[in-house]
Amino acid sequence: MAGVWIISENRERALELLNIGRQLAAKMGTHVSALLYQDREEVQGCISHGADEVMLLPPLSSDQSPDTYIPVIIEEAKKRDPDLILLPATARGKDMAARIAARLDVGLCSSCIALSFDDGSKSLVMERLAYGGVAVQKVICTARPAMASIPPRTFEKAVPDEGRQGQIRELPAPAPSAAKILERKVKERAAKDISEARAVVCVGRGIDKKEDLALARQLADVLGGEIGCTRPIAEEFHWLPEEVCIGLSGIQVKPDIYLGIGVSGQVQHVTGIRNARVIAAVNKDENAPIFKVADFGIIGDLYDVVPKLVNELKK
Amino acid sequence: MPSIIACFKWVVDEAYIRRGPSGDLDFSSVDYKISEYDRNAIEEAVRSKEALGGKAIAITVGVPQATKSLKDALSRGCDQAYFVADASFNNLESSQTAFILAEVISTRIEQYDLIICGEGSSDLYAQQVGPRLAEKLCIPCISFVQKFSIDKNQIVAERRVEEGVEVIAAPLPALVTVLPDINVPRIPGVKDTLMAGKKPTVTITKDELPPVGETLLLTVGLAASRMERSCEMFGTDAQEIARFVGSLRKRGVVG
Repeated sequence: MAGVWIISENRERALELLNIGRQLAAKMGTHVSALLYQDREEVQGCISHGADEVMLLPPLSSDQSPDTYIPVIIEEAKKRDPDLILLPATARGKDMAARIAARLDVGLCSSCIALSFDDGSKSLVMERLAYGGVAVQKVICTARPAMASIPPRTFEKAVPDEGRQGQIRELPAPAPSAAKILERKVKERAAKDISEARAVVCVGRGIDKKEDLALARQLADVLGGEIGCTRPIAEEFHWLPEEVCIGLSGIQVKPDIYLGIGVSGQVQHVTGIRNARVIAAVNKDENAPIFKVADFGIIGDLYDVVPKLVNELKK
Repeated sequence: MPSIIACFKWVVDEAYIRRGPSGDLDFSSVDYKISEYDRNAIEEAVRSKEALGGKAIAITVGVPQATKSLKDALSRGCDQAYFVADASFNNLESSQTAFILAEVISTRIEQYDLIICGEGSSDLYAQQVGPRLAEKLCIPCISFVQKFSIDKNQIVAERRVEEGVEVIAAPLPALVTVLPDINVPRIPGVKDTLMAGKKPTVTITKDELPPVGETLLLTVGLAASRMERSCEMFGTDAQEIARFVGSLRKRGVVG
């Protein structure tokens, strides 16, 4: 037995995990199994994107959360002894990964950003950020299976190969969980999704009042992008919704251009922008840490600089 | 009246970590603090106690020097604190911390209704101790909670997930991990600090616990993260602004 398992409740994340899972499985000389909840229609998609086997879990009643599946997954893992289990580092994924790891009594690399298999030592070295992003920590799981949760969009989606064949296996239904979902409130997005935006204008504490967000909006409009913010703007002032808060405990963005206005550049925030192609910043404090991680910086008052930038960009 | 446990970690303040000459990390001038996310856990435990009666218990696992953190936690309104201390507890991994916490909570604390953890620690931010602890104690776990209420023998919590919010009910005792925006932690005053010195604390040593297992996640490298950027600086006059925008155009990131 053995194999690389991927567990994802959502198609996008599953395709990303299938991509890295497939690459690792090839190096490790093993196969890929995907665990799917409910959705039979996704079976062929998973197989053509790299799964050799799909383990299909039966549907849950509407008041049950996917973590209800944990005992079934544990039983199956004990029986089949996978080499590696990958989950997405989403809210549910992170929670489920830690709980599966606890029950299997194994290690878990949370929010893993790179994995490499060393053929000589047969060990899987995983990387993650630590100390708010100041450091890169390399870890090895000392017990089987190794486990990692991987942040959304860390890897590209797998490329389909329509000719691929795979097995399907049905897993038993779990016993209902003591926790019940009373209600699901689907987010009415107050803002556009900034995780996919090509340009992101980020507002920090340098902005004096909520009305001045209009300046940031103008800049975002000429750049064809969206507005994000640092934690205090969302959490303390509530000027922008939590869903556009960029950083370690918020959203990680990877736009072509990130432009911070009045952003000091605390490390937790910078962790959320490290994959931007170009980082630019406007801040009146020449010692602001953001300038150390920026490609281009303007030392100046944003109220003076931003209107000038808008004009220049319109040219 | 509920008995509420807040778990917290005494961590290196990452603002004091310096980058050494060869990309190593210099911890020589670091200071320590209660992990930011855990301040939200403590605050929420204290607020719940203030609303419902009962008591708020703080618990931490760490090196003996972390004893300072107890007064800090107690000054934030907890009624008593448990401190599991050993010199070897400086680099515990999530599975070990969860094991120790589970052991102490199940053997030393007579009765509890709710355990509150932060969403992650501000040093390693593995976000595992809460869910692992719930599994060890075999109690329901609701993570990433933005709001909750306790009603008789159940908790009703709003859990934030990617698509929105799930309202979840679970029987007590249960564990929640709370998001940083659930509250704004109080800043203790002089009176709070003075009172903190009079509150009971219990110190538990490693010898009083069953053996703690080996690490399940071995750190094989820790180095400064690199962000190599050109750090080119510009002024604010018309010419400089034009040069700045020109640089962005040259990189092909603006039209």
